[in-house]
Amino acid sequence: MTGALIGRLVLLAGVLGFILAPDSFVPLLRPFAPDGMPVIYDRAGFGNLTLWHLGLVVAAIVPSALLAILLAVLVTRPRGAEFLPLSRALVGFGQTFPPVAVLALAVPVVGFGAWPTLIALFLYGLLPIFENALAGLVGVPASVALAADGMGMTPRQKLWQVELPLALPLVVEGIRISAVIAISTAAIGSTVAARSLGEVIIAGLNANNLSFVVQGGLLTAGLAVLVYDGLGLVVAAIRRRPR
Amino acid sequence: MIRFESVSKVYDGIAVVDDVSLTLERGTITAVVGTSGSGKSTLLRMVNRLVEPTAGRVLLDGTDTASVPAADLRRRIGYVIQDHGLFPHWTAARNIATVPGLLGWPRAAIDARVRELMLMLQLDPDVIGPRFPHELSGGQAQRVGVARALAARPEVLLMDEPFGALDPVIRQQAQTDLRKLQQQLGTTVMLVTHDMAEAIRLGDRIAVMRAGRIDQFAPPAEIIAAPATGFVADLLGEGDRAFRYLSLQPAARLARPGAADGPVLPADATMADALAEMIWSGRDRLPVAGPDGHPAGVCTRDDLIRAGRPG
Ligand SMILES: Nc1ncnc2c1ncn2[C@@H]1O[C@H](COP(=O)(O)OP(=O)(O)OP(=O)(O)O)[C@@H](O)[C@H]1O
Ligand SMILES: [Mg+2]
Repeated sequence: MTGALIGRLVLLAGVLGFILAPDSFVPLLRPFAPDGMPVIYDRAGFGNLTLWHLGLVVAAIVPSALLAILLAVLVTRPRGAEFLPLSRALVGFGQTFPPVAVLALAVPVVGFGAWPTLIALFLYGLLPIFENALAGLVGVPASVALAADGMGMTPRQKLWQVELPLALPLVVEGIRISAVIAISTAAIGSTVAARSLGEVIIAGLNANNLSFVVQGGLLTAGLAVLVYDGLGLVVAAIRRRPR
Repeated sequence: MIRFESVSKVYDGIAVVDDVSLTLERGTITAVVGTSGSGKSTLLRMVNRLVEPTAGRVLLDGTDTASVPAADLRRRIGYVIQDHGLFPHWTAARNIATVPGLLGWPRAAIDARVRELMLMLQLDPDVIGPRFPHELSGGQAQRVGVARALAARPEVLLMDEPFGALDPVIRQQAQTDLRKLQQQLGTTVMLVTHDMAEAIRLGDRIAVMRAGRIDQFAPPAEIIAAPATGFVADLLGEGDRAFRYLSLQPAARLARPGAADGPVLPADATMADALAEMIWSGRDRLPVAGPDGHPAGVCTRDDLIRAGRPG
């Protein structure tokens, strides 16, 4: 318990430390850099790259979550039930497509830069949030739903006051999964010129500089773990204090 | 007053409620008894339009319920269900405040009403009010469910096996409390149960339901004295009929002048209680208390046994 907490704090300190003062990590990384090559990536600031990276994730996951929740709400309404299989198929289809293929197919249409990556992250974010929101809405106990109707809530009041609040922990759980997938996928976006921590890894691969690969990889992984933990705390807080 | 006029509900070609006509008088408790699947809940839910009749109509004080918007209708009708159906993310107090909230009562009026109801149902507002449903005992949750149903002072209360999840002791207490509450408020209650003893204890009238139809609709004494069909008799349980009949009548009614030894029977004891006490204490005469709590006469075994046979 405290061990996990200390681990998290160390990780947070490490990630922040690297972003703010990458040079202090030179002694650790020097063994990975070939002789005469720079040890720390210097074509862009790490703070900048991290913000870009997280920005991509947020910009994709927010609309993804809105659409996924909207879909889940629609297919759990009496009139939308017949669309459930279709939505499942559609959202699942997004998931079976490899991210690289989405990037490759998107480039000819929207060009290089952030857009292909945003599209890929958006598509990959849908499924976990949709499935979780669906499970949350379907999981409202029958007696609770019956009581909501019986008290005279309109369908809209029932949705906002009962169904969505009860589904919220699972929805955030879905967002948590999607966000972590998106953080790792965003790194690949740099292959089509999106600004992200992936560009450090790619630069390292191109120049045979293992130090770049290690710092880009570890930073991405560190971000993913921190975001996963952070949203985990949010879920726990919602569950502890229902409202 | 609730009036069913030739009401039917058909699911997949099967009439689960089949041409039922029934009038529930204002200010009374009507118990609907029957075996599982006989259509009790379906009949009940047609009153607040959770189920729409396939044919016929339901009138509430003369108004066709179909002419009132469903949400408005339901806010005027209390509804209690077996698993209480409390909103798990709201405190007990907020649960009770549900319907007044939907009706847009001012904050202060809602708070006062919630307090009043909690006191009425023996729930400490300061202790139970802030608790969430998972922090309540079964009996407390059940009472919160009743308080929620009564919050907006409905004239009609629908109860679908409201005591189904309670243990026998709490259950009996809850039944007694409901009876008192109903007399105090004058609410018209329609209560669904599959427990004949509960129906006899609570109902001013009992509707016995079988396969979507009403086999008999009569006061408890009449149901016991003259079951209309073999099914009604089966529900009563042949062997228990005499006891059920005795359980309907106060022992004080049999009191005759005289004196007897041993503990005094309380004034509100039924004849069944008196007989049980005789068997258990080995006496054949019991002193019976009058309304003031002092012995007012005696009740004899012979009188009791005669009283257990209707007619
Ligand atoms: N929405 C529905 N669709 C199809 N059939 C239904 C529906 N609701 C109820 N039924 C059927 O109608 C019949 C009567 O159901 P109902 O719930 O009214 O019975 P009940 O007397 O309340 O039984 P129980 O004591 O088990 O609660 C049952 O056979 C049930 O399967
Ligand atoms: Mg039922």
